[in-house]
Amino acid sequence: MKLSTFRLMLKEGIINIYKNKLMSLASMTMVIASLIILGLFLLFALNLIVNIEEIKKQPEVTIYCDHELDEEGILNIERAIKEDERVREYTVKTKQEAFEFMKDILEENKDVLEGYSEEIMMVSFEVSLYNPENSPAFVETMESIEGIWRIKYSQEVVEFITRLVYWVNLISIFIVAILLVISVFIISNTIKLTVFARRKEVGIMKYVGATDWFIRWPFIIEGIVIGILGSIISYILTSYGYNVLESAVNSGEFKSSLIFTGMVKLDIIGSQLFIIYAIIGTIMGAVGSIVSLRKHLKV
Amino acid sequence: MIEFKNVSKHYENGTIALRDATFKVEKGEFVFIIGPSGSGKSTLVKAMMKEENATNGDIYVNDYKVTDLDRRQIPYLRRSFGVVFQDFRLLPNKTVYDNVAFAMQIVEAMPKEIRRQVPMALALVDLSKKAKAYPHQLSGGEQQRVAMARAIVNSPCLLIADEPTGNLDPDTSLEIMKLLDEINQRGTTVVVATHEKHIVDSMKKRVIELEKGVIIRDQKKGFYKNEA
Repeated sequence: MKLSTFRLMLKEGIINIYKNKLMSLASMTMVIASLIILGLFLLFALNLIVNIEEIKKQPEVTIYCDHELDEEGILNIERAIKEDERVREYTVKTKQEAFEFMKDILEENKDVLEGYSEEIMMVSFEVSLYNPENSPAFVETMESIEGIWRIKYSQEVVEFITRLVYWVNLISIFIVAILLVISVFIISNTIKLTVFARRKEVGIMKYVGATDWFIRWPFIIEGIVIGILGSIISYILTSYGYNVLESAVNSGEFKSSLIFTGMVKLDIIGSQLFIIYAIIGTIMGAVGSIVSLRKHLKV
Repeated sequence: MIEFKNVSKHYENGTIALRDATFKVEKGEFVFIIGPSGSGKSTLVKAMMKEENATNGDIYVNDYKVTDLDRRQIPYLRRSFGVVFQDFRLLPNKTVYDNVAFAMQIVEAMPKEIRRQVPMALALVDLSKKAKAYPHQLSGGEQQRVAMARAIVNSPCLLIADEPTGNLDPDTSLEIMKLLDEINQRGTTVVVATHEKHIVDSMKKRVIELEKGVIIRDQKKGFYKNEA
């Protein structure tokens, strides 16, 4: 296609959008609605995944040593943990630390500890693994070591997290796919109305010898421009809403919660989100118009 | 230029629109295709443009074998000649100038070329002053002249007109015919399908007469009624 022809088609497409203001607005609203829903879903899934990663970093295994275990025995256990390849990191909680922690928990009622010393507490290790799924096997290894009173690990939580990630991924793909199909269907119907209103014109163009693509391009450009405008507006709306929510959440009480680590900042993901919007908006517009044109080109 | 060899057209409802039509039009000729409504004139013109497919026979137009043409090649066939219709078929949202320019845009002519040719075509049909008007602001005769400017702007060697004066009063009709004659004088082959006696009689050109799909007369310098 020659540059002059492309310019002509671009002009034609944009003029058409302006001439069919109402239709264009309807299509654009649809693009905006579906992109925003899509964006919310993507952002939710992303935040969930990021937070799940954070949860995974928390100690999933706590090993309590025997109350009377001597220094030698404790070192022995520590060595075993240190040398295990599955362990990402571990921390030791001394009797002193455990006693202080207990006091903190009891707050006003800490008098109950009156008369007791740290000797009633036990030394413990908080262990994180590289892969939480390995915790049952790791626990089994540890149990064979002498001097361990008890091992606590939350295999169920770990399994739940793993399952959740799986389902979040699956459901997001599913919902996004459905949304895209619905959007293309609605855009194609809107553009179909435009084409139908101009079917006589299309007929005349064909009588004068215009090729199918020559007739198609202005409609496709019309669809693409609608898609791009829609994606820009969607991005502005989404980022504004997300920023409001993000600053409220990250400065609020959730921040201190143990499990929830806060929402991802938009600066980090904004450009990717915009690219996703632009690509999907463009494709929706183009596919929508191509689908709607098939029928009316047979003259 | 144009050749029909034993062309027939049967419609699915049983109507036979053309029966074994055979004729030839040479370069530079001016030919009337005449006959009452339903005689097959329109079918003949539509078959030339590949708007209708012939049931039997071969049609050649401007080196294209129309009867064997692939759907994708139809636009190129249609660009090889200019067409004028009874109902003008102008693009309502475009100005007179843009309607004429459109025929050049679809063949991807250079903008410079378009700016040169369109005013010339408009001058030929005497519509230079109405270049910025829209079709609905023009009279029937003016609209048909725009359609003629569009048909000749690419300087085709063939111009096909299907009932070009069907929607016009007698005076305007004669004006249009004069214009067609002028275009023919410049070397363009002109084929006009019509059922209007007075324009055929005033021109004294070759006449091909159809009746119930059969060519019953092919006469040089003929009249509407056979007076030979």
